[in-house]
Amino acid sequence: MTTSMWVFMAYFAVVFAIGWYGLKATRDEADYWIAGGGLGWFSGGATLAATHTSAGTFVGTIGVMYTAGWSFGWVLLSIPLAYWFVAAVLAPRFTRVKELTLPAYLQTRYASKGVRGLAGLIVLVATVVYIQAQIVAGGLIANTVFGIPTTWGMVGFTAILLAYTVVGGMIAVVYTDAFQLVVMCLGALFALPLALRQVDGLAGLFTLVESAHPMVFSWGTLPAALLFTMGLSFFLGSIATPEKLIRLYAMKDMATIRRGVLLAIAVILLLNLIVFVLALAAIVLFPNLPTGDLAMPLVATAVLPPALGAVMLAAITAAMMSTVDSLLIVAGSALSVDIYQNLVHPEVTPARRLWIDRAGIAVVGTVPVLLLLSGIGEGELVQFIVLLFTALMAAAFVMPVVGGVLWRRATRAGAATSMVGGVLATFLWEVFGSADIEPVLPGFVVSAVLFVGVSLVTEPPPARALEPYFSDVPPTPTDGATP
Amino acid sequence: MRGPGFVFWGLFAVCGLILLAYWAWMRWVERR
Repeated sequence: MTTSMWVFMAYFAVVFAIGWYGLKATRDEADYWIAGGGLGWFSGGATLAATHTSAGTFVGTIGVMYTAGWSFGWVLLSIPLAYWFVAAVLAPRFTRVKELTLPAYLQTRYASKGVRGLAGLIVLVATVVYIQAQIVAGGLIANTVFGIPTTWGMVGFTAILLAYTVVGGMIAVVYTDAFQLVVMCLGALFALPLALRQVDGLAGLFTLVESAHPMVFSWGTLPAALLFTMGLSFFLGSIATPEKLIRLYAMKDMATIRRGVLLAIAVILLLNLIVFVLALAAIVLFPNLPTGDLAMPLVATAVLPPALGAVMLAAITAAMMSTVDSLLIVAGSALSVDIYQNLVHPEVTPARRLWIDRAGIAVVGTVPVLLLLSGIGEGELVQFIVLLFTALMAAAFVMPVVGGVLWRRATRAGAATSMVGGVLATFLWEVFGSADIEPVLPGFVVSAVLFVGVSLVTEPPPARALEPYFSDVPPTPTDGATP
Repeated sequence: MRGPGFVFWGLFAVCGLILLAYWAWMRWVERR
């Protein structure tokens, strides 16, 4: 066994132990999907930061900076502003009723089972594709560390992820996320001084990086429209992706959410800034890479001593796993709660619900790897899919979620058409539109226009849909809106 | 033309300012 293998074995052992704890601590569906809804600010903020930070941060960001330079760094600022918006505007209204899933919120707010089923379907399809992209990254890491074929690596990672997620649910996901966030921070913090030593410190880095890539500190490397729409994509994606919104339900109350968000944005900013500096070092150390996606694995294996390189690779793995496990929860709940128990078979007994929930996660976790093994979706770049997923989620959910709690005139038809129209516009722009503008912009604009336009020409929503979210609406005597 | 150090540390400084502003906002909300 090599040092890397020992590091990875220890890492997986901790993850499994936490999964076992999750199994013991899960008593009902609220435990399984939102960790009982009583998380403190530390575990809540840590899981938010770990879920946000995906393999895209460690592999993809370096790839973009490798070609685009420091101007890409400013896009980062849209992330803390988005979370601030969530803590100040969205969360106080959104969490008035604690639901188990995002589509369940849409059912309550729009008094419609159909809107919930539609949202569940969008979440399910988009998430399966996203999980595929991350699993491919996992297969490449397994190939580097254990020398096994990439295919076996993908199967192995899926098995590990499913083992603790199916068994331990959200409780296991939250505490493994906190652990994986520590691994990510350790990897980044160890790599930083060692990489800087290779390039003669910060002053040396500036000189070397400018001679290797003269435009690196200028604004001319990316079109302004692309830079702006990338920022918009990060902003909207941080607001309305279901795996982040569900964490607002998992945290205890608003004071906890405000503190949790502060922890999350502090860690996300720190990790990204370190990764940016590592990206500059990679430009100097490996100036002629065919693709920037290779930079981080090369820093881990060629620059760092073996044990630290293994920690760095474990950090990339942790970033990938802590995002995929959260997506498994979101996709599994969409399948078993929002689609199966809501539309197909509503009379499930509470005792069987937990088993159906587990089966849902097992199914959504197996499908991506089966698709990959049959050769579907293999060749896509990781960051390409991450951005498309973010755009789809933003186009589908920002207006129905944010608009739903801020605008009482918003109707079921407005929400449904905005979701469908936004998703279609995003896809059409991705296929036929200009590459200089991210598809999130047309997708979001179409979704916003449909949301407002269709809401205004349809009947205002019933009082039972507004009463949970607007305090001046009197409670209705009939209890028809609860899921 | 500003030097690379200005552009580089500028991003760090703005990130720090955002964190500070968020913290101040949080304290303000909780005292209100």
